[in-house]
Amino acid sequence: MSRQERETFVMIIRSPEQVPRFTMLKRFPLPRNFGVSRNSRIARGRAWPVLAGAVRVKAFDVYRYDPDSPENPRIDTYHVDLDDCGPMVLDALIWIKNKIDPTLTFRRSCREGICGSCSMNIDGTNWLACTRFIDDTDNTAMIYPLANMPIIKDLVGDQTHLFAQYAAIKPWLRTNTPEPARERLQSPQQRSKIDGYYECILCFCCTSGCPSHWWNGDRFLGPAVLLQAWRWLADSRDEATAERLDDMRGTFRLYGCHTILNCTRTCPKGLNPGKAIAETKRMMLEHRD
Amino acid sequence: MDQDSTTPYSPANRLRPRSPNIQIYRPQLTSVLSIVNRISGVLLSVCALGLVIWLIAAAAGPQAYAVVREGIASWAGRAVLFVATFAFFMHLCGSLRHLIWDTVHGFSLRAIYLSGWIVFAASMVLTVAAWVTSAWIRR
Repeated sequence: MSRQERETFVMIIRSPEQVPRFTMLKRFPLPRNFGVSRNSRIARGRAWPVLAGAVRVKAFDVYRYDPDSPENPRIDTYHVDLDDCGPMVLDALIWIKNKIDPTLTFRRSCREGICGSCSMNIDGTNWLACTRFIDDTDNTAMIYPLANMPIIKDLVGDQTHLFAQYAAIKPWLRTNTPEPARERLQSPQQRSKIDGYYECILCFCCTSGCPSHWWNGDRFLGPAVLLQAWRWLADSRDEATAERLDDMRGTFRLYGCHTILNCTRTCPKGLNPGKAIAETKRMMLEHRD
Repeated sequence: MDQDSTTPYSPANRLRPRSPNIQIYRPQLTSVLSIVNRISGVLLSVCALGLVIWLIAAAAGPQAYAVVREGIASWAGRAVLFVATFAFFMHLCGSLRHLIWDTVHGFSLRAIYLSGWIVFAASMVLTVAAWVTSAWIRR
């Protein structure tokens, strides 16, 4: 059996990079437009023709929404010539934009998984389009924007609320001791406490994949922001631990997390928001009055 | 909230659609076990009412008790009881998993999946074991 075939039957996922090829259900058994507002219902769009001369062709179903027309979102089907296109899903989207439909809109920048711009829902899970191989997608690849976002256009979601939540945890070094003459020092051991947390690129794959944030996103901070909160709680130089914890008390901000762990499953940087939140909950217990 | 259909269309006052979430997000062991834990909890709360009915019938006298007993012993009653047994063990094992998580252990992705499948397998084994044991005691 090849590596790909073996992975098909894997039950124990070891790394979020493993693509969920074998799950009994591709989506929860719910009506397509279950609980969806009237203007969010998705219609069947157009199927764009295969370009002449293409031999190896793969179909992509892409979520489209045009704010300049009164129409609802729709799913367009494009056929990508794999012999003329790079290996990644982002390459396919850029190929579509260049060769078929210049109106297709998406965010992208670094094309190497460090800027976090091209996060989107690929075959039902959130990932960066630039680090997902086309070969690892389903036969008709499904490309949606990050789940549960107000849509500006096509694959571009409005992240204003998410960044407002990020700002709410005051994600900077807060101190009250006098500033030292040189920088604030940290031992290698103290520095290692933020390993696995400082690498977050704020692509919001985790927050957009969290059912708890879907239902209570107005009050629950979500895994990305809580991982950032822990990054500052764990930093030996930060002196606002008590204030940071006080800001997260209440029923939802931190405790909206029910340890579903879709976040840890989906993080394209291999980080562990679920663990960061558990660490925060434990620290909260240690600091109770 | 829908737009007033009498006003002329303008992109500026257009309500943004929300991208689908539960409708497209792929079921994974993580999310499935979470919803199963919740459903089994709800089911057990409902079954607690059944337990109360059973106790009230036992206190009310032999005739009332016989009626309830007959209901439980029926084919449908046994099916409900079997599902409730599974829900009980699922909720028990799932909650133990949450207790371990509360000590900040078992958060590697491998541990999350391993413990998840263990919870599922253990609940099945315990359910069958409970029924076999009860049948053996009543023998």
